[in-house]
Amino acid sequence: MDTQHPATTAHEPPGAPPECAGFVELSVRLTGFDEFDLRGTGMVRLYHDTTLEQLGRAAVGRFLDDLAAAGGDPGALADEVSRDIARAITHLWYLGVWPSLARATHAALGRGTPNTAFVVSPEAWTEGLAWRTFHGHPPGARPPGFGTWADPPPGTPDRAAGDVA
Amino acid sequence: MTAGDRHDVIVVGAGLAGSLVAKHLGDRGRRVLVLEAGTRTLDTWPGHLDALNTYYAALAKVPNAPYRPNAAAPSPDVLDLEGLPSGGYRAHGYFLQDGPLPYASDYLRACGGTTLHWMGLVPRMHPDDFAVRADYGYGRDWPLGYADLEPHYRAAEHALGAAGDADEQREAIGLPFPPGYAYPMRAIPRSHLDRLLAARLDGVPLRETPDGPGTVLRVVTTPHARNGTPDPRHDHYRPAGATGLPNYGERCVGNASCVPICPVQAKYDARKTQAAWSHRVTLRARAVVNRVLVAGDGRVLGVEYQRYDDPAAPAHTTRTAEADVVVLAAHAVENARLLLLSGLANSSDQVGRNLMDHPTLLTWGLLNRPVGPFRGPGSTSGLECFRTGPARRARAPFRVEIANWGWSWPTGAPASDVARLLGIGAEPGAPRGAGLFGTALRETLGHEVGRQLCLQFAMEQDAESRNRVTLDPRHRDALGNPRPVLTYDLSEHVKRGIAAARAVSARLFALLGADDRTAYAPGPAAPGWYRFEGRDYVFQGAGHAAGTHVMGDSPATSVVDPWQRCWDHPNLYAVGCGSMPSVGTSNPSLTMAALALRSAEAVDRDLAELRRPLVVRQPGGSS
Ligand SMILES: Cc1cc2nc3c(=O)[nH]c(=O)nc-3n(C[C@H](O)[C@H](O)[C@H](O)COP(=O)(O)OP(=O)(O)OC[C@H]3O[C@@H](n4cnc5c(N)ncnc54)[C@H](O)[C@@H]3O)c2cc1C
Ligand code: SF4
Repeated sequence: MDTQHPATTAHEPPGAPPECAGFVELSVRLTGFDEFDLRGTGMVRLYHDTTLEQLGRAAVGRFLDDLAAAGGDPGALADEVSRDIARAITHLWYLGVWPSLARATHAALGRGTPNTAFVVSPEAWTEGLAWRTFHGHPPGARPPGFGTWADPPPGTPDRAAGDVA
Repeated sequence: MTAGDRHDVIVVGAGLAGSLVAKHLGDRGRRVLVLEAGTRTLDTWPGHLDALNTYYAALAKVPNAPYRPNAAAPSPDVLDLEGLPSGGYRAHGYFLQDGPLPYASDYLRACGGTTLHWMGLVPRMHPDDFAVRADYGYGRDWPLGYADLEPHYRAAEHALGAAGDADEQREAIGLPFPPGYAYPMRAIPRSHLDRLLAARLDGVPLRETPDGPGTVLRVVTTPHARNGTPDPRHDHYRPAGATGLPNYGERCVGNASCVPICPVQAKYDARKTQAAWSHRVTLRARAVVNRVLVAGDGRVLGVEYQRYDDPAAPAHTTRTAEADVVVLAAHAVENARLLLLSGLANSSDQVGRNLMDHPTLLTWGLLNRPVGPFRGPGSTSGLECFRTGPARRARAPFRVEIANWGWSWPTGAPASDVARLLGIGAEPGAPRGAGLFGTALRETLGHEVGRQLCLQFAMEQDAESRNRVTLDPRHRDALGNPRPVLTYDLSEHVKRGIAAARAVSARLFALLGADDRTAYAPGPAAPGWYRFEGRDYVFQGAGHAAGTHVMGDSPATSVVDPWQRCWDHPNLYAVGCGSMPSVGTSNPSLTMAALALRSAEAVDRDLAELRRPLVVRQPGGSS
């Protein structure tokens, strides 16, 4: 995670690494979605900033060290605080919602902000990854077209067979 | 009272019922003043987009999530109820509640009313539903029947722009339609899930209990007030599009958020009727009617209302308006509140009583294949075979809606599934589970949510005088008007219906090969928890408030006559579901709309009668 990244990067010098490269790499491991999908949401910068804001640089730095020590596998994170941070960032990507942290994590980080869940922005909610896992779409934000709900969902055997009956 | 503020008719409330009545009377040349408690911020396209963004940004996607709170005209919210850890509930918010069980439904006080967040399903009531006392021994009877309402059902289907298949409704449910009748639009297509269920259930006989009555299952398409494909057999029907944006919303595009807001406005809401009002109809918003004014002879003179500018800091001025006829159309609970505030129409002592809803039991499970959840309108089909029959004597009948939006209603899916799979529990103090990440999370979530099946069993609730709306002068809203107190419970008849529904659900899940995940326990999210005959249940509110100014054939036992005219006041009407003596198992608003249109004709006749010149005609003379 590029914690040294300046808050505004209006002009990237040519050949500079893509925006928030570290955060994206980590998010790929957490979410199971590839870089193309994640960047396509348009949420990378907002989630990067939200994470820093909610946790602080020091905690994020420790989390990155822990993740590196776990071989980059969030499932192998041993430290409960780091594990809870992994949960929070993944939750953010899947739903556009920053969750409440475990009470113990909140206390361990000595956070000054209230430990309440919130939708990061209206767009964040509509870009949640959860819907894509079952070929759905966020309610109220995608108009797939009249009658599309009658079709079998993509990627199912019913789809190939045309219909069910 | 200014001389200028005199009208033929005052309609209180610009929701579904009021907008239809105003349209009918305006079209007939009557000067109508509509007083609306809420704001009109949703009438413009930017206002609509603001509501959509508010919805996106809301943590809990409840029916009132898109709509900004209004201190001058507060609305109840489903989040106002909190279940207690070992049963019981606590009510916060606008309603005060003191019943054994909570009244668990909301409504919306904004121009357009509750139709802004309704689902828009518009089935007709069954002919058997109008005489439940006489035929089945519970509840109250209507002073009219299906045949009296049938022409008005058609008028309501036209006014709301209903999409349905009359032949299927006739054949599968036994609803009488005139020969050759076609809904304005063809039936909204069934969801993939409906088709899966139909393939496995259609034609299968089912008994609730080994020796209980039997039925044959059939998945039936539900009529919608939602734009689809016009049916050429219905005269030149042109779907009504969005208000505030021309040529938009003339067809449902499957946004799957009808409750709480249709982004393209393909779902009917009362703003569409308002857009078609004649210039004789005047709408005055931010006008909270708080009293109906009456003369010594019982005739009403007009209303007093509180006009405010800012819904956040409601300073108001009190005004009055006069009319020959006043029509209350402020929603079942608010109509009762207004009659009680005014001390009117209550010689029968029935005002506020007989409060009903369609208490709803949710059951949920996982099918063994992807169902394509969270697509299309919230429900496109149901099972109609439990709506009537001899079983009704013993237990409440029910309609089964097949939910297209996974477990969103019972569990808050998919957000709750994401949290669960990540190991995040509801209690922040509790230790968290290890959690899944990466591909394992993505695949597990998709595999589980993609197979979510939920059935909604909507019970008929019988009219009981103990279920009621009263007022508590000690608790007032920001304009100083006493807040409503709700006293609510479920009868044994309803509880037996819910128990039967649970048994039917188990049989259906077995037939479907579904893994039943239904579980009922007390807790913060389960204010509707109760135990019955040793088993746990949780019911939900359906948003279908009814019965509070009940219609009947005698002034001694009912509030309004068969025309929804208050027995005690010949020029005061109370329209809406509050007039319904029984609610059957159909979502009530189409029946309410039919009744409202029928009453509008009566108001028009009353006005014609009043205007008849007082000259005695000579027989044979010309005039
Ligand atoms: C989540 C949900 C889903 C639903 N889905 C369906 C469905 O699928 N099918 C169905 O048939 N029904 C459904 N309903 C029920 C349906 O919304 C109501 O039956 C219907 O809107 C009632 O119409 P109404 O005109 O009586 O009241 P409303 O539509 O609520 O309108 C009343 C109006 O009066 C105004 N008002 C209130 N008090 C005052 C006052 N003191 N002075 C002036 N104005 C006032 C309000 O602001 C409002 O505009 C649903 C309800 C909910 C909550
Ligand atoms: S499915 Fe979507 S487009 Fe259709 S009515 Fe519902 S919200 Fe509107």
